[in-house]
Amino acid sequence: MRVILLTGKGGVGKTSLSIATALGAAEHGHRAIVLSTDPAHSLGDALGTPVGPRPISVCSGVFAQEVGALDELERSWSAIQHWLRGLLRGETDELVAEELLVFPGLEELMALRAVREVEARGEHDVCVVDCAPTGATLRMLRFPDALRIFMENFFEIERRGVRWLRPVVGRLGGSALLPDEEFFEAFERLYREIDDVRQILTDGDRTTARLVMNPARVVVEETRRSFAYLSLYGVATDAVIVNRELPPQASGGWFARWAEKERRERADIAASFPVPILHAPLHPTELLGVDALRRLGREVYGSRDPAAVFAEGRPIRLRKDSRGTILEIDLPNASKDDLDVGVHGSELLVRVRDAHRRIALPASLAGRTVSTARLEAGVLAIRFE
Amino acid sequence: MRLVLYTGKGGVGKTTTAAATAACAAARGRRTLIVSADAAHSLGDVLGRRLGPQPAPVAPSLDALEADARCEMERQWGRVRDYLLALFRHQGIDDVVAEELALLPGAEELATLLAVEEHGREGSYDLVVVDCAPTDAALRLLTLPDVARSALRLALKLQQAVASVAGPIARAFVSTPLPDAGVFGDIERLLYEKLRRLRARIASEKTSVRLVVTPERMVIDEARRAFTDLALFDIACDAVVMNRLLPAAARKETFFRDWARVEQERRREVESVFAPLPVIAAPLRDDEVIGLDALRAHGEALFERCEPDAVLGARARIRFAAEAAGWRVELPLPHVSYDGLEVAKIGAELVVRTGSRRRSLSLPRRLAALSLASARVEHETLVVRLASAASNARADQSLPCA
Repeated sequence: MRVILLTGKGGVGKTSLSIATALGAAEHGHRAIVLSTDPAHSLGDALGTPVGPRPISVCSGVFAQEVGALDELERSWSAIQHWLRGLLRGETDELVAEELLVFPGLEELMALRAVREVEARGEHDVCVVDCAPTGATLRMLRFPDALRIFMENFFEIERRGVRWLRPVVGRLGGSALLPDEEFFEAFERLYREIDDVRQILTDGDRTTARLVMNPARVVVEETRRSFAYLSLYGVATDAVIVNRELPPQASGGWFARWAEKERRERADIAASFPVPILHAPLHPTELLGVDALRRLGREVYGSRDPAAVFAEGRPIRLRKDSRGTILEIDLPNASKDDLDVGVHGSELLVRVRDAHRRIALPASLAGRTVSTARLEAGVLAIRFE
Repeated sequence: MRLVLYTGKGGVGKTTTAAATAACAAARGRRTLIVSADAAHSLGDVLGRRLGPQPAPVAPSLDALEADARCEMERQWGRVRDYLLALFRHQGIDDVVAEELALLPGAEELATLLAVEEHGREGSYDLVVVDCAPTDAALRLLTLPDVARSALRLALKLQQAVASVAGPIARAFVSTPLPDAGVFGDIERLLYEKLRRLRARIASEKTSVRLVVTPERMVIDEARRAFTDLALFDIACDAVVMNRLLPAAARKETFFRDWARVEQERRREVESVFAPLPVIAAPLRDDEVIGLDALRAHGEALFERCEPDAVLGARARIRFAAEAAGWRVELPLPHVSYDGLEVAKIGAELVVRTGSRRRSLSLPRRLAALSLASARVEHETLVVRLASAASNARADQSLPCA
């Protein structure tokens, strides 16, 4: 299954373009689904019809689904939920408790699971993911790493600890506070599923990200950073979509200054992103509903198949030369001041401004020392001795 | 200290509006701090300079910072963190991993609030403006003191009990270090003092949330949901900023004629949905609002007729309360004629109609599954009761008002 992640700063038009991409893919004969992982869902608002946590048919060949963290929790994580409810009982009123079950990070987790579930169902060839704004998306991509660290270091200890504590705590009347064995099983299952998703997301042959932006300074700045972050997490970006460009007939009069600024931003965008750049014009009305969004898809992709991979390449790769092994990470637009690199046992630590990642090194490199780390032409090259 | 938090859907101009508010207040002589609480910071981009986690002067009377969870965690959690580090180290995990794990879920949001509270308490600012993350994350930020308090109180009870009863035995059996009195002391300080203060700060009359919207369908819908959620957690809104309205000159452009018409409709809708909150209109600019001068000018336009740090709107609030048979929703309806008032529940919406006016409220998830039981007016407040009804729970209903 082909996975296309649409992300970018808030308000740039991710939702409209996600639907447009799915509709376009369907026109090329693919069975498409658009999946919203933004907890503040807007698929339903854009389509003008309620979309829920179960896939619904939008038109021939296109389904839509909004991942609901609370609903997912109820459906498949009753063990985890049971424990959380017990924890919250009596501490706060019921209505508030219900909202609190959606703890930070849960949405991202459920979003990742949903991608895997769509693949497992096998009913779709293309899954377009309408991601949350940049900050939350970064958290989502970080999740598999964090979970791996937790599993490797703590899981068994916690589990044993709880088994041991249960009788003591039970006597103190606090049994509800300790997660039970079912909780741990649910957690382990979750870990395996998330690891599957990580593999899907970092497989550049089927998963790519498309960064949506508007031709405005602050937006371009943030998108530039996002490009590097995605790369750091091993997700390949195969296109950027510049949305809401003033069309020629709207570029005069009061808007002449805007138009001039946009021209400069467009030149900057062309120089900043080493992938195909797609364009969508500003429309004089909001694009709501299937027909309007299908037209938007045609404007963006023309005769191209939206499901194609527009740029090949892996953001993180290993290369060998006569002197040894080099690990390369694409970090376009990053500067030396933003970077921090270190090795810890079998992990490589890389920090790029707000994002940091612990990359598990392949066995052949684990424990070896880094001889040089160099940033050149947007590529961080780390040479191992 | 006055605390103003800006939130709204992504891309509506929260950062610009927050920065303009702060720049305008500072120019009018208020000692002002602006804080970015969005993990994807763009405050620095708008102010045109790189910001850090410590307040840095950007103009006379104006300081700015971008909260950094990692750094706040180190400052705020003292011994709790030391204990976690000791615990992790003991299990053969190096410090870097331990630090990473110390960034527990919600720690980011909490750290931001603690930083705001700390700077507020020092008394060096008259006004603190917070540029929040998009709606959902912002709500989480504001409700966190409640959650953290409940969770910590439980953890504390449990830990203390285990440590006192099982401590001596446990030490004999397991090598895991158990928390000592200092750790409990810290947790308690964090729990009973800092969180209580945070909760008090958020509930304070000097704290308000301002919702930023643009005249777009999706944006307004999201703001309405946020409005309900804020009411649910008893957090006051004092104004709605309606951003990027076409100025008169732009409305004449042929390409934007339809847009201008829709905009007028949306503006009326926003005014009625969020009534009695004032709606501050902000014009679309012919250039991006970047840099202090542009921000100050934008702020002066926003607050032409009022002060940026004033409490702009009534504190009349929607309230939700549990009752034996279901839930009670209280909707303040001042200055409304009650003749022919009708209440309907359509899907997850509660709709109130009076004559030609119509007001709707998105119901919290839990309440959306209930059905209308009664509706009546008490002291300028509409009291609607919702009860569970197995058969027609999701069906649309309407009731005349008693």
